[in-house]
Amino acid sequence: MARSTQKEIRQRAPLWLLVLLALNFGLMSWHARDASGQPVVKGWAQSAISPFGRATTGVGGAGMGFFRTFAEMRGAQAENQILRQRLADAENQLREGRQALDENERLKRLLDFDKDISYRPVPARVIARDPSVWFNSLVINRGTTSGVDLDMPVVTPEGIVGRIVGVGPVSAQVMLLTDERSAAGAVVGQLGQSNAIGSVRGYGKNGLLEMRYVSGMETVNTGDYVVTTGQDRIYPPGLSVGTVVEIQQGSATTPHTIRVKPGARLDSLQEVAVLTYRPPQRTAPEKTLPNVDKGKTK
Amino acid sequence: MKWKLAVCVALAVVLQSTLAALWRPLVYADLPLIVVVYFALRRDAVLAVFVGTVAGLGTDLLSSGLLGANGFSLTLTAYLLAALVTRVMIDNPLLRIPVMAGAAAFDTVVYFLLHQLLGQPPGTPLGGTIAETFAYRIIWTTVAGTVIAFGLDTLFNETSRLRRRHFAFRRRIARRGLTRRKY
Repeated sequence: MARSTQKEIRQRAPLWLLVLLALNFGLMSWHARDASGQPVVKGWAQSAISPFGRATTGVGGAGMGFFRTFAEMRGAQAENQILRQRLADAENQLREGRQALDENERLKRLLDFDKDISYRPVPARVIARDPSVWFNSLVINRGTTSGVDLDMPVVTPEGIVGRIVGVGPVSAQVMLLTDERSAAGAVVGQLGQSNAIGSVRGYGKNGLLEMRYVSGMETVNTGDYVVTTGQDRIYPPGLSVGTVVEIQQGSATTPHTIRVKPGARLDSLQEVAVLTYRPPQRTAPEKTLPNVDKGKTK
Repeated sequence: MKWKLAVCVALAVVLQSTLAALWRPLVYADLPLIVVVYFALRRDAVLAVFVGTVAGLGTDLLSSGLLGANGFSLTLTAYLLAALVTRVMIDNPLLRIPVMAGAAAFDTVVYFLLHQLLGQPPGTPLGGTIAETFAYRIIWTTVAGTVIAFGLDTLFNETSRLRRRHFAFRRRIARRGLTRRKY
C-alpha cells in the first residue's frame, strides 16, 4: 500500500482531530455527570495493568528498600532507645485498654445492645498511583475476588487512608482522604466524650485535611487526636484520622476551622488493609417516632 | 514499526503510574506526553492524533480525573505540533527542548481548564501552589523528555537504523575474515 502523501495527511488530519476531540469530550461529559459509580472500563483497565504494577513495585521497592536500609542505620541506636520507652508505655496502655474493653462488653450485655459491626481486614499492596499530578489515588492488588467492594474503607495501623471508588476482579482504586472530593465524619478527642464533632475532607494542599462544622464553643487544641464517628456510614467508628496541626478559632456563631495532619503516611504507602465493613442497618424513622398516629382524636 | 509504537505508548502509560508508586515526585515527568510529542514531530498528523488519543485515554483509565481529559489535551497538543513541524523546522535535537517545554505547558493548561470547566477542580496533592505544580511539571517533563527522545531515536530513527545495519554487515565481514568483493 502506498504511503500517504503529506497533502493527503493534511487533508485528513483535521477531520480525525475533530472526531477524536468530540469522542474525548463526550467521554468527559458523561463521566462528569455519571454519579452511579465507576465506569466499568476503568476497573478492567486497572486489572489489566495490575501484573505489571506488581512486578514494577516489587522490584523497585526491593531496590529502594536496600538503599533506605543503609541510610537509616545511622540513627538506629537512638531510635532504638526511644522505641523501647514507647513500647513500655504502649504495654501499660494496652493493659488499661483491655480492662476498658472488658468493662465495655459487660455494659453492652447489660444494656442488651444488638451485635455490633463486625468486619475483617483484607491486606493489600499498593501497585500503582495516580499518573496525574492533580489527583491522588492508589491502585491496590485486591478486587472483587477477594471480597472488596465499592465504598469499603481502606486503613493502615496509623489511621484511615481512604475508600474504594473503583473495583475490578483483581484490583481496586482507592480515593485518598486528602482528595478534595473525599470526606469522613470525625470528632476531636474521645468518641462519646467530646462534642467537637465535624467532618474532615481533603484540603487539596500539602497533604492536610480540613475539619469543618466543629462548634466554636468547643475547646480544640493543637495536637488533639481526631477519630472517626461512623456517622458517614463508610468508616467504622473509633478509627484514627490524624492530629490537629492548625486552628482558626471560631466563636459562638462561627465554627472552628481546623487543619488535620493524617495519621497514615499517605505519600509512602506500600501495604494497606481494606475493611469489609458494612454499617448497621438503620431502623426506618416512622417506626421510632413516638405518637405516630397523630390523626386520632382524644 | 507499528508494534514498536504500540509498545512504547503502553509502556509509557504503565510506567507513569507504577513508578509514581515507588517515588511520588516521578509523576511530574509526563511519559505519555513525551511519547506523543516525539511522534508528533515525525510529520504524520493523523498518526500523531491517534497516538495522543490512545495515550491520553490510557492515562485517564488509571487516573481518578475525568475520563477523556488527557485524551483531549494530548490529541490537541499532538495535532498542533504536527501542524507546526510541517511549517517550521523544530525536529532537531536541540530545538526539541523548548518544544517539549511548550507542549508540557500547553497540555497542562488544557487539562486543568477542562476540569475547571466540568466542575471537577483539581488539587495539588504533592503540595505547593498551582503555579509551582505547573512549573515542576514543565521542568521535569522537559528534562526527562530530552533524555528519552534520544532513546526513542535509536528505535525509530531511519538514519540510525540504516547505520546499524551498515555496521552489522561490516562486523560480520571482519569476524569471518572475508575479503572485500571486487566489482
